[in-house]
Amino acid sequence: MIKLINVTKIYAGQKEPAVRELNLTVEEGESCVLVGPSGCGKSTTLRMINRLIEPSSGTILIDGKDIRETDPDQLRMGIGYVIQQIGLLPHRTVAENIAIVPRLYGWPKDKIKERTDELLELVGLDPETTRSKYPAQLSGGQMQRVGVARAMAVDPPIMLMDEPFGAVDPIARNHLQDEFLRLQSLMRKTICFVTHDINEAIKMGDRIAIFNRGELVQHGSPHEILSNPVNEFVRDFIGYDRVVKKLSLCRVGAIARKDFGVIRESELPAAAEIMRKQQTEVSFLLDHLGAPGGMLARKLIEKQGAALSPGALKELAQKGREAFIQEDALLRDALSLLFELSVDYLGVLRGETLCGVVSLADIREYAAGKEVD
Amino acid sequence: MSIVQYFLNNFSFISKYAATHFSLIFGAVLISLLLWLPVGVLISRNEKLANTVLGIANTIYCIPSLALFSFLVTIPAFGLGRKSALLALVLYAMMPLVRNVYQGIKIVDKSVIEAARGMGMNSWRILREIQLPLAAPVIFAGFRITVVMTTGVAAIAAYIGEKNLGRLITVGLNGYNVEMIVTGALLIALIAIVLDTVLGFFERMMIPRGLRIRRG
Ligand SMILES: Nc1ncnc2c1ncn2[C@@H]1O[C@H](COP(=O)(O)OP(=O)(O)O)[C@@H](O)[C@H]1O
Ligand SMILES: [Mg+2]
Repeated sequence: MIKLINVTKIYAGQKEPAVRELNLTVEEGESCVLVGPSGCGKSTTLRMINRLIEPSSGTILIDGKDIRETDPDQLRMGIGYVIQQIGLLPHRTVAENIAIVPRLYGWPKDKIKERTDELLELVGLDPETTRSKYPAQLSGGQMQRVGVARAMAVDPPIMLMDEPFGAVDPIARNHLQDEFLRLQSLMRKTICFVTHDINEAIKMGDRIAIFNRGELVQHGSPHEILSNPVNEFVRDFIGYDRVVKKLSLCRVGAIARKDFGVIRESELPAAAEIMRKQQTEVSFLLDHLGAPGGMLARKLIEKQGAALSPGALKELAQKGREAFIQEDALLRDALSLLFELSVDYLGVLRGETLCGVVSLADIREYAAGKEVD
Repeated sequence: MSIVQYFLNNFSFISKYAATHFSLIFGAVLISLLLWLPVGVLISRNEKLANTVLGIANTIYCIPSLALFSFLVTIPAFGLGRKSALLALVLYAMMPLVRNVYQGIKIVDKSVIEAARGMGMNSWRILREIQLPLAAPVIFAGFRITVVMTTGVAAIAAYIGEKNLGRLITVGLNGYNVEMIVTGALLIALIAIVLDTVLGFFERMMIPRGLRIRRG
């Protein structure tokens, strides 16, 4: 756990503090994203945690212990640190770069080698072809992976990351973010992550701390911040599409309902009757193997269902044969699919099996909802 | 080909002069390295000190060599001869050596140093494992300039009693002995050029492999 208490930093020769009276706690195993416009004090805050900068006043505790009680080099050896420029040693190979902290700890050679290969695998690089390359031989994305591997070399419980994916192209960034989230879900490290990109903050943070001019403006989960921005600054900073952004926070499975009907192909002639009896807004058509292959909305059937032949009904249902989405997809993707197919309902799948339904109205309700836990 | 003739006829004392010349170069460069490399490292950690020291080095470098030699000779502790010669050469070497060590260390990418510090490397280790290896080509370039410069300036020390190749020129000039003058001048020039070329070759080898290698 990292706890900053009344921390202020005024750089020599400056009047305005770079960080003012900051109180912030990052819980064990939590990723906290510091976000805000350039120059608002994010990097300063991060660099005070590993004592690259000393606060002008205030106290920083790590696991309850004042960091001033630990020798700075010793302290830093136990904290992973990744910066935007990465800072790989250009005259050392990938393996040697990763081995820096293990060597500071005096690990034996074979343990270092084993760990290096393990880390390279972990960050998605092939040890065989990568370990003896020099940084100049790597792409930006590969360098950033090595930077992350290097910071994790001795498996530090805390990682400080200063715009770690800021210098790579958007596609690579997205990829690195996803992989880092996957790693984090396995390792549950305590992470302080700096970015100026609110979308990255929403994606990466368990909690987000929004800064402006050296002050903490709002601290909370992405959902809290998107639902209840405390002031105009936060509202502006997260953008007027905040409701849409919120749809990236929730997976379809979380709001899916169970009240859907199913109709087998053989039952199509009596479809209207069955649906009326089932009392569900929507039914999904299952083929003879039980696989979902279409959708019938009750509204539609009630209007004209009785007049339609089974063949026409089947055709109607099959217009919705693509209206299915996996339960771990984001609501954003569900919304997009609803619009794309011009339908009101999507069947929710767990693998191949139908397990729920989600409607445009459900998504609207979620997006409009203030605070749900 | 009277110069060749002259050279062969007088080979024994010319080779003695050459030996003295080399021993002066060697001594001066050695002392300079021992003195100025640490000073260069030291000032890379203190901007204020760096400005002062580099200012001094620059000023000294601007003093014409004959003037500096003559001045030192008048100081009783030094007088005519080797001590004054060494001191002058060491003072001249301050500029290329201190400046290149300082610049070599300063041009190391700041983010590399920040990352290293952030990982818990202490400043001594950063100096030894990062700054010096990366600065090596620049430092070596300073060494090369020093050697070549010292070769030339050492000849002028003949005026204050050094019996080296410069003496071929001073004595030659006195009696207007053309063969002697030209032999001295050619030898000094040749030695400087050969040293420069050889050291230039080594300078390229000082570039760390990781910086020579490119993607592809
Ligand atoms: N080493 C420094 N010396 C003086 N001022 C600094 C230094 N580092 C940062 N600052 C100033 O402190 C403020 C906050 O900087 P920083 O923490 O780097 O912001 P951010 O990372 O949010 O962009 C800025 O106004 C910046 O100019
Ligand atoms: Mg910053």
